[in-house]
Amino acid sequence: MLYGENIYKAFGQKAILANVNITVEKGEAVVLTGPSGGGKTTLLRCLSLLEAPDSGSVEVDGSFYKFSQGIGARTDFPYPYLTIVFQQLFLWPHLTNRDNILLSLQNFGEREQEYLNHLINHFEMKDFIDNYPNQSSLGQKQRVALTRALILDPKYILLDEATSALDDDRAGRVVEELIALKKKGMGILLITHSLDLAKQVGDRFYKLEKSSLREIFRI
Amino acid sequence: MIEIIISYREAFLQGLLVTLKLSLTIWSLGLILGGAIGILETKWKKSIGMLSRALAFIISGIPVLVFLFWLHYPLQALAGVVIDPFYTAALTLTIVNVFAVAGIVRHGISELPSQYIETARVCGLRPYKILRRVQLPMVLRHIIPSLLETQVNMLHLTLFASLISVNEIFRMAQRVNAIVYKPVEVYSALGMFFLLVCLPLNGLALYLKQKFSRDISEK
Repeated sequence: MLYGENIYKAFGQKAILANVNITVEKGEAVVLTGPSGGGKTTLLRCLSLLEAPDSGSVEVDGSFYKFSQGIGARTDFPYPYLTIVFQQLFLWPHLTNRDNILLSLQNFGEREQEYLNHLINHFEMKDFIDNYPNQSSLGQKQRVALTRALILDPKYILLDEATSALDDDRAGRVVEELIALKKKGMGILLITHSLDLAKQVGDRFYKLEKSSLREIFRI
Repeated sequence: MIEIIISYREAFLQGLLVTLKLSLTIWSLGLILGGAIGILETKWKKSIGMLSRALAFIISGIPVLVFLFWLHYPLQALAGVVIDPFYTAALTLTIVNVFAVAGIVRHGISELPSQYIETARVCGLRPYKILRRVQLPMVLRHIIPSLLETQVNMLHLTLFASLISVNEIFRMAQRVNAIVYKPVEVYSALGMFFLLVCLPLNGLALYLKQKFSRDISEK
């Protein structure tokens, strides 16, 4: 279970997250919605241990990460057991799309080769897989960034508007993949403004508004 | 012009060797020490960073020629020593180059959006691999054109050494001109030499700037 407990984060005097509690179980997809600038990305950054909340803790399958000692105090962050796809993607610009995907792999065995081939076909990436990111459209880059994360076989994945630039057909293919991975036990936390996408993949729905999180819907 | 060069080839060759020796000293020491200081500045911003930036600020306010003359005449008179003008010129221009390079390196490292490193971390890359495969290639691509341009400028500045009696190529050209009094031919030959050396370097800097200017604006 991924569990953010009493996460409090303020920028200056303004509280962005006021003692937020959120859980993501294995094999479920949690959808996070809310107005822009409401702190959704900050919550994702806190849960993925990239940003230290002012107080609170994060638990990843029994490992606790408290932040009183600062974010740099521990080096055993559970990456890529838990990983994140940022809204701005951050593909490494000096590497081709293929190398972006392969760089993080410790081993490139049969499973990875098979899964990469599957994702290249499923996400229709054949035509641009060997291009550089700056030669690719935003939608293409989103699929590469998703593939880069998925091929690492994470147990929890946090997606920040990861399909915002995809057309319905291609977003549908991503949804299919996420549903399949969810069935295999992956925990997914998804920020999206697309209700269609959210309804297809989500099990629980939260709204982050005025620094508070509330559950608005559960399937 | 060719006849003069052939007739005084030994003088020109001697001047050329001194210029190259001076340039190689300034380039190598400047790049190594400046690179090291630039890296240390980003690691220890408040101690080394502030001291280095303060020194660079002071040096940038002193014209290179004044700095050279001050090290050559008053300082040596005050210290009661006489140093070979070649070493005085090498020291002066190395100091200028070190702080120029340090500034470029510091700027290149601090300008790299940290999210590229964060992305590498959440993909499970180890620190050494992040440095080798992500940070270093991206920073180098960003700074190499500026470093080349700076080294071309440093080559131009070696001409000042002639003013403290270093027998580099400009001084040798002056001496040849004093004998033959053909300024058009002599200084045209000198101009040709600098064009032959500097244009390819500037061209390479321009080429690399265009080649490596991949989109890293995804902040």
